[in-house]
Amino acid sequence: MARFIARRVVQLILVLLSVTFIAFGALNFLGDPLVNIVGPLAAIDYCDEVEAGLREDSYTSINNSRGDCEIIGEAKADFGLDKPVIQRYFTWLGNIITGDLGTSFQTQLPVSEIIAQKLPKSLMLMVMAQIIALAVAIPIGVYSAYRAGRAVDRATSVASFGLLSIPNFALGVIVLQFFALRNQWLPASFDDTSIGTRIHSLILPATVLGLGIAATYQRLLRTDLLTTLQEDFVHMARAKGMTDRHIMTRHALRPSLFSLITVFGVSTGALIGGSLVIEGIFSIPGIGSEIVTAVVRDDFPVVLGSVVVIATGFVVINFFVDLLYTWLDPRVRAS
Amino acid sequence: MPDPQLTVEDLYVRFPTSRGTVEAVNGVNFTLEKGQMLGIVGESGSGKSVTAKTLMNLLPRTAEVDGNIIFEGDDVRAVAKERRKHFWGVKMTMVFQDPMTSLNPVKRCGEQITETLRYHLGDDKATAKKKAIDLLEQVGVPEPSKRVDQYPHELSGGLRQRVVIAMALACEPSLLIADEPTTAVDVTVQKRLLDLLDGLRRDRGMSMILITHDLGVARGRCDDVAVMYGGRLVERAPTETLFADSRHPYTEALLRTIPRIDQPSHTRLEPIAGRPPELIDPAEECAFAPRCRYAQPDCLGTIPPVGGVRGQHEFACFHPANTDRGRQALDANLAAGQTVTGLQIQANAGVN
Ligand SMILES: Nc1ncnc2c1ncn2[C@@H]1O[C@H](COP(=O)(O)OP(=O)(O)OP(=O)(O)O)[C@@H](O)[C@H]1O
Ligand code: SF4
Ligand SMILES: [Mg+2]
Repeated sequence: MARFIARRVVQLILVLLSVTFIAFGALNFLGDPLVNIVGPLAAIDYCDEVEAGLREDSYTSINNSRGDCEIIGEAKADFGLDKPVIQRYFTWLGNIITGDLGTSFQTQLPVSEIIAQKLPKSLMLMVMAQIIALAVAIPIGVYSAYRAGRAVDRATSVASFGLLSIPNFALGVIVLQFFALRNQWLPASFDDTSIGTRIHSLILPATVLGLGIAATYQRLLRTDLLTTLQEDFVHMARAKGMTDRHIMTRHALRPSLFSLITVFGVSTGALIGGSLVIEGIFSIPGIGSEIVTAVVRDDFPVVLGSVVVIATGFVVINFFVDLLYTWLDPRVRAS
Repeated sequence: MPDPQLTVEDLYVRFPTSRGTVEAVNGVNFTLEKGQMLGIVGESGSGKSVTAKTLMNLLPRTAEVDGNIIFEGDDVRAVAKERRKHFWGVKMTMVFQDPMTSLNPVKRCGEQITETLRYHLGDDKATAKKKAIDLLEQVGVPEPSKRVDQYPHELSGGLRQRVVIAMALACEPSLLIADEPTTAVDVTVQKRLLDLLDGLRRDRGMSMILITHDLGVARGRCDDVAVMYGGRLVERAPTETLFADSRHPYTEALLRTIPRIDQPSHTRLEPIAGRPPELIDPAEECAFAPRCRYAQPDCLGTIPPVGGVRGQHEFACFHPANTDRGRQALDANLAAGQTVTGLQIQANAGVN
């Protein structure tokens, strides 16, 4: 077990290193935070030209006692942007290790504070989405495998493929229109008043997010169950006179959960992607909408901090998925 | 004479498929007396498992079944429709003889035994567990109280088989059906299992149907043997009669596929030439005709009805082996060098 955990920790570190390195690189090559901090002048070679004496510095900014280039230079130094990318990456990494995620270029707030404020909402959304997905997919998957080829099974197949082919945002907009705007059955936006209102206002977005993965889960579970139902031990259980219900839930279900569990772990990634969109549609001030804003504004520390948290979450969830395997199959435990 | 424990009358089983209707079982009749052991023997695809599954109500929903199955006064097919509870698993049960796949890999061995006790007999957890340990002891599992908490993969193949038997015997069924897989597991392991089963069933006065593709396995264990071919019972007789005085040419051919004590050990075993019969749209003729050394023109006109002595030695053949009619047919075919279906035959291929 200790070995198992140690391997996971090493894995986590490697994942974080590569993910942050890629994110860091991409942000630096694709965007320029200075534009957002001091304005569009920062984006062009203007200052280089001033420095090279090719032109005079201008005084367009608010504080026109100082030249624009001077201000840009100060900002660069303040945010450490005058150093080479690699050096900045390692400085940032060093800070992370000491628990310092940096401060936002935009709001000047510590990134850890922003995450602490936004993450719980997104987490709640995702947990609710997964619960809804499992609660919908498992009973339907079991029933459709039990009645394979019959009316209910065919109907769920059609419904699943339908759900799989509707993009999240489309479903989100439709659901929002129908359930929240036209008929005010459920709230259209996030309500932070109490835990109750939070759950209540997350029902719609979580359902939208959950239904997409529920369809995947249901298909996987059905397929695996149909394979398991061919096994001798299932015939044996029937020969012992056990009820269909007992056989489906107590014999066939557990050995048929592997694909579902695997995808459960992986789908966390898709869920994060989906929540970026859904948080926008349902006005949820979560980490998803925060990342979107931060990316648009080239707010490096916030983007990177969020990436670290999400990647860690991803690895941790998959660690629990591995633990689930061992619970599902005692043979894995032995090896 | 009292009614037999099990009577199967005119059993037909068909599977509609995209390629046509598979006529898997075609008018099978047999009876089984209480405490007796019946062997059902035949090559792959002859309908042995389908027959057993019909008895056990394990056929897929698509199967079309016709005929009567009476077990201890109950109409089994009606039971399937009405009160399915506490019949299979309690009165009649089945074991699949591959120990590697018959146990649920993710359930503790004990639980797989106790679940039937709890469901059928309403035992509480502790009682059921105690009974499970007793059962394991009876089937010769060492340290049974440790085994109940183990998973199947922690046990050797031999022990697993014993767990399977304990599982089947838990509710003291009066009929046990054992279906041997064609892709045989280790032969010696298989033999040990059968011997163990045979001993246990004698102690308990339990009846048994042993399904095998190997006549040698039936010998010495079964009271009666029924030979199936193409979904039909082609011969049925007390085991000794069948071995000493078989009538159906297919049985005769099967007998030549097993090693015999009275022949030198290096005698070549003959596989039966030709392919198993077509079960979709079969022709109105003896299904064995294309492979039969005795085949005559009349074999191709009609399906041979079951004849012989009812309840004693029954067989379905127009020119039975070990009879004058059969010998004449064979001699004529040998003289011609081939049968009416064009099967090439030679004299030295060992006539009984
Ligand atoms: N569900 C099904 N649908 C269609 N055909 C089937 C089905 N089950 C069995 N059959 C066919 O019925 C025939 C008899 O099968 P069965 O399993 O009884 O053979 P068997 O005598 O047990 O052979 P083996 O020794 O290989 O186990 C085979 O041709 C098989 O393909
Ligand atoms: S002799 Fe005729 S009836 Fe008898 S098995 Fe051969 S072909 Fe069939
Ligand atoms: Mg079979």
